[in-house]
Amino acid sequence: MKRPGSVVWSVVCCLLLACSVSARAAEGIKVGVVLPLTGTEAQFGEIEWNSFQLALDEINGAGGIKGKPIELVKEDDTGKPDVGRSAMEKLITQDKVVVVGGGYSSSVTFAMAAVAQQRQVPFVVNTGSDDKITEQKWNYVFRLNPPASEYPKALNSFLGEVVKPQTVAILYEKSNFGQSSSKSFAAQCEKMGLKVVLKEGYDSGAVDFKPLLIKVKAANPDLLYMVSYLMDAGLLMRQSKELDINPRLFVGGGAGFTLPGFYDNAGKAADYVFSATLWTETVPYPGAKAYFDKYQKKYGHPTEYHGAEAYACMYVIADALKRAKELTPAAVQEALVHTDVMTAFGPVKFVSYDKKTQQNKLPTYLVQWQGGKLETVWPKEIATKPAVYPVPKWSERK
Amino acid sequence: MEVFFQTLVAGVLKGGLYALIGIGMTLIMGVMGIINLAHGQMMMLAMYLTYVCFHFLGIDPYVTLLVSVPCLFLVGVGVQKYTLNPLLKIESLLPENQVLMTVGVGMVLTEVARFIFTSNYVSVKTSYSDATFFIGGISFSVALTIAFGFACALTAGMFWFLLKTDLGRSIRAVAQDAEAASLMGVNADRIRTITMGMGAGLVAAAGTLLLPIYYLFPDIGGPFTRKAFVITILGGLGSTVGAILGGVTLGLAEAFGATYIGMDYEDMMGLVIFILVLLFLPGGFKRLTKV
Repeated sequence: MKRPGSVVWSVVCCLLLACSVSARAAEGIKVGVVLPLTGTEAQFGEIEWNSFQLALDEINGAGGIKGKPIELVKEDDTGKPDVGRSAMEKLITQDKVVVVGGGYSSSVTFAMAAVAQQRQVPFVVNTGSDDKITEQKWNYVFRLNPPASEYPKALNSFLGEVVKPQTVAILYEKSNFGQSSSKSFAAQCEKMGLKVVLKEGYDSGAVDFKPLLIKVKAANPDLLYMVSYLMDAGLLMRQSKELDINPRLFVGGGAGFTLPGFYDNAGKAADYVFSATLWTETVPYPGAKAYFDKYQKKYGHPTEYHGAEAYACMYVIADALKRAKELTPAAVQEALVHTDVMTAFGPVKFVSYDKKTQQNKLPTYLVQWQGGKLETVWPKEIATKPAVYPVPKWSERK
Repeated sequence: MEVFFQTLVAGVLKGGLYALIGIGMTLIMGVMGIINLAHGQMMMLAMYLTYVCFHFLGIDPYVTLLVSVPCLFLVGVGVQKYTLNPLLKIESLLPENQVLMTVGVGMVLTEVARFIFTSNYVSVKTSYSDATFFIGGISFSVALTIAFGFACALTAGMFWFLLKTDLGRSIRAVAQDAEAASLMGVNADRIRTITMGMGAGLVAAAGTLLLPIYYLFPDIGGPFTRKAFVITILGGLGSTVGAILGGVTLGLAEAFGATYIGMDYEDMMGLVIFILVLLFLPGGFKRLTKV
């Protein structure tokens, strides 16, 4: 048993060595990518890494940048800010990358952005959405996704024009993302004249959400807004069904509610749930549908907005590298400032507004689960199906 | 009022499941005098067994009890025989050697699960996963109610077993005084091995019953080890009845804390009760029930 094992190992080691040697021989342009590849956020990290690779293969297949291929150096932040920091340090000092992409969770991204700024290496954030990341006047930090406070933009217009609810209950996970987006949603509700009857946080991983949901039931809101990651999202919907809670609509605030795993876990209880999202495959941008199909074909499962962000990030970086006068961090930063490119995720242009600098501005969308499929329902111009509203009561569903 | 009763029901039902998790640990604690810190990880193993049976063979989780409980019994026996019993024979300044070993066993189980199943979340969807029935406007989860029934039945069976059977008496004898029991002709090593197996089997039952309403990933063990530990201390070390009281108390404390104080204080409520019991009732509920 032992001997064949060690033979296999040595063969694998040799292969790895050969790979690294050949990669070095090709003299590629080194680009760093930091994502959570293990730990509780690994599922998102995997979708994003796959998308980076998909884009990389296309770019290198088309001849690379100025005749040189791009070479991605990936680091795992494991979802922890301190690990993210040291990953960023390593990429900059040891691998000498000219630009870094990635950045999933907000707290990790914020820690990494500080390092990038200090070391003067451009960092293109594609997912970390806490508002403060682009509010620090950091000229080496760029963000192509909208900040957390803008996620519910489409939802707000849907509420204003169609639903016109009176009362809202907000449940959120006690994380950077959950707190920041629930706070801004509550503020927006107040602006729209909605009454927030309940706003409560919870710690991720609870077995039983019923004590929380009983209070929602007692408050009887028109709208239940939840900011949760994948498995909590599934449990919240299943237990809402168990308790027979019937608001006029259930809304997820991004993150867990748009993943295929949400429907796998929540089953029929997931039907009719609305969610804010940043991208769907039906958005009117060139390459969006093509990206979705290519991903499905290559990896055998569907992708979602996180993947599109990563895919676009790779193209934005490639575009900047193409325009950069030389391949140094400073020159790439200069090129990124003047970015004006169309991607599968939407047009990318880093602008300053409000307190934010070098922030890309994009519309957001509203999707709804209908019969196990995620349909785009708002804005109307790009909707694939009309919204089902108000959602049927649990007792009236089959 | 509805809120109050719904909270009560949620707390008691969850408490039943907690009790089942706690009984295994308290049994091991009573006989061996050590805390099994791989307890939650053993539950995780049983949950993966249940998941595999359901996902690949289509076996209902309740039927899987017949697979997961014996399998985990064997795992428990193996752990005791090959990792813990040898340590008993080694002279050491630290009597905690065995506890450290259980920590190691727990880590190995977690990493093996991660290696085979990756870090991804999985869940088992059955027809009764989110089924409910209503009594006077109060919702009862079918799966949790069944789990509660199983917990009660298993505990009653356990109680009968410890009081009335030969093996049960030997286990109690070793728990009270291992040396004296050995002198009376009880094979203490064998009893320890069987007890460990039974503890693992009980927590396997808890895991299999929990899976239809929850989800699963390799790191799930840690939080449940902590819960079992709290229950064991609440109930009084080695007390079966105490473990039930401890489990239900923890379930109720969490539920009422979540409803009337805030869901973010759920875990804190359990630990506050834990400290209060340590301060004012340092032997746990065993002191009140005497069994």
